[in-house]
Amino acid sequence: MTDHDQVYRRLFRSALLIRLVEERIIELYPSDRIQSPVHLSIGQEAVAVGICDALRPDDLLFATYRSHAFYIAKGGRLGPMFAELYGRRDGISGGKAGSMHLSAPDVGLMGSSAVVASAIPHAVGAAMALKRQSGGRIAVAVYGDGATEEGVYHESLNFASLKKIPVLFICENNQLAVHSHLAERQSYRIVEHAASFGVPGRRIDQGWDMLAVRKATEEAVAHVRNGKPYLLEIMTARYMEHVGIGEDFHFQYRSRTEIDAWKERDPLIVDQALVGELTAELIREIDAAVAHAEQSPSPQRADLLTDVL
Amino acid sequence: MNASSSIPASDARVVSYAQALLETMDSAMAAHSNVFLMGQGVDDFKGIFGSTTGLAAKYGSDRVFDVPLMEEGMTGIALGAALVGDYPVMTHIRADFAFLAMNQIVNLASKYSYMFGGIMRCPMLIRLVVGRSWGQGAQHSQSPQATFAHYPGLTVVMPSSSQSILDMYPKIINRCPGPVISIEHRLLYNLDFTVAGKSARDDSLTSYVLRPGRDVTVVATSIMVLEAMRAASYAAERAGVDVEVIDLNSISHPDWDLVFNSVRKTGRLVIADTSWLEYGVAGEVVRQIVLRNPSVLKQPPSMLGMAPAPCPTAKSLEDLYYPSLHDTVNGILVQARGPEHGVELPNEASMADVYKRFRGPF
Repeated sequence: MTDHDQVYRRLFRSALLIRLVEERIIELYPSDRIQSPVHLSIGQEAVAVGICDALRPDDLLFATYRSHAFYIAKGGRLGPMFAELYGRRDGISGGKAGSMHLSAPDVGLMGSSAVVASAIPHAVGAAMALKRQSGGRIAVAVYGDGATEEGVYHESLNFASLKKIPVLFICENNQLAVHSHLAERQSYRIVEHAASFGVPGRRIDQGWDMLAVRKATEEAVAHVRNGKPYLLEIMTARYMEHVGIGEDFHFQYRSRTEIDAWKERDPLIVDQALVGELTAELIREIDAAVAHAEQSPSPQRADLLTDVL
Repeated sequence: MNASSSIPASDARVVSYAQALLETMDSAMAAHSNVFLMGQGVDDFKGIFGSTTGLAAKYGSDRVFDVPLMEEGMTGIALGAALVGDYPVMTHIRADFAFLAMNQIVNLASKYSYMFGGIMRCPMLIRLVVGRSWGQGAQHSQSPQATFAHYPGLTVVMPSSSQSILDMYPKIINRCPGPVISIEHRLLYNLDFTVAGKSARDDSLTSYVLRPGRDVTVVATSIMVLEAMRAASYAAERAGVDVEVIDLNSISHPDWDLVFNSVRKTGRLVIADTSWLEYGVAGEVVRQIVLRNPSVLKQPPSMLGMAPAPCPTAKSLEDLYYPSLHDTVNGILVQARGPEHGVELPNEASMADVYKRFRGPF
């Protein structure tokens, strides 16, 4: 097997795991075992795995409410994740976080916020501190296209450029903010806009292509480790509804054909040979994680007021 | 008035509020290499009214730096830095600007520990300065202690003297596990206080009795503590009323037992806060007492705060807007003697003028 094949296989395995995890969530959801909103990443897995594979394990990442993919790609463990989705004591955060606030500080996922754009300055601040610690680590801010409309994003770009902060801005552009199209929301282009702050960047149109995302991220990371911010805008597609486990084409705010065009190129759909080869093993992993969640106790009154301060 | 009568003369020294702030900033930065200081103007020639002057030169621009006008972003940056071991100290030269950072303070910083189940924490100190007098107007005068203390996860303090700063800040910086908001008062900055050479108080992060008394309890915050002390002296001299003054000091975590026990003793309560009464600190003080035992109050309490309007700019209106020494003394005498107390009240139109003239030491 060539290096290229090995990398592809590693990325594919991680992406497939994410998809299978989310398909399991879809399966479980009607049982009400997961009693919190879920924002699925199905269709966007390649972005998460391509980025995380190009990072050092000790690089830090800050994400959003749609972060199952980044949690898994960064190396978060499935057992505590399912227990967290179930609201159980063995969850990552003992059930206080749920799907929208996944984190795994042991592998560098430093939090995910449900208030759009609010974690972007956290990545800038963490990167500023890492720069002072001079260990060569960087921080990554992951956000959607809608987040670029928030004021704090502009503040963050300005500060990162001004202070030469080693932060990588990753815009996952699925062109939708809930149900609003990008064209109805933005008067600017994301890469050009960042460039006006002195933050260079590029747009990757092939967001389905894990290897392309990985390569672009490697180049971006090299730039950032030299002590300057960089931006990647990665075009991608949200197959499912904004929140929940269904599709939403019948509401007619977007067309199924847009998504079908992505699906035709989606390796997790196209490369059925590898899907067939890897699925059984990954399903066993997921079964074990779900079993872990099922047997974990619910948090009790004694847990209600811990860790407030 | 002397806020520190129990201090042994040999240890006592005179320190202004601004100087106490500068000393605590300086010693925190000297003691802890992870402490950094940021805020608009923190490294300029005015140095946040003298509380950060010279620190940029001493510790370098990596650790003491000015920021663009980006209150939300800067608070988020502090949070991110705190997550990887730095201790940020942020300043806002007017508390009103912290409202631009409400998202980061309320939605993020206050919740980071709890929301992630205690696996991450974002300790930081946010210093807000409340403005008053010389036409600060509606947007340079707000005192947001009740706003912030409402949210679990935030620690809110209001130092009323140099002693309070020297006692509290070393126990906050790099010690408190989460975000702390300290609401400082601009009129206190230039006042001189007699302080102990070394902190002796164990209760520096909560409330304390500043002046013991038998007849009336006054619970006060920030500069109203000084007003309460002046009013207590007046009431003692003119009417023989013995007032107990409690500096609430910590707004989010006061010593409610201390307050309750004082009111149980006196049965009469005046609350003097620097903000509005509606849904505020004064209401919370009463709630805490009533929940313990409403019958300790011999009569309805007196409450002093800003008039229920945005702050006016005109001096004639501003003097009416804030509670005066006249109002504070009257509150005490109404409690002690009833509304027909017949004692002549002090004739002092503008408290701000008094504090600007005053050179202490307190």
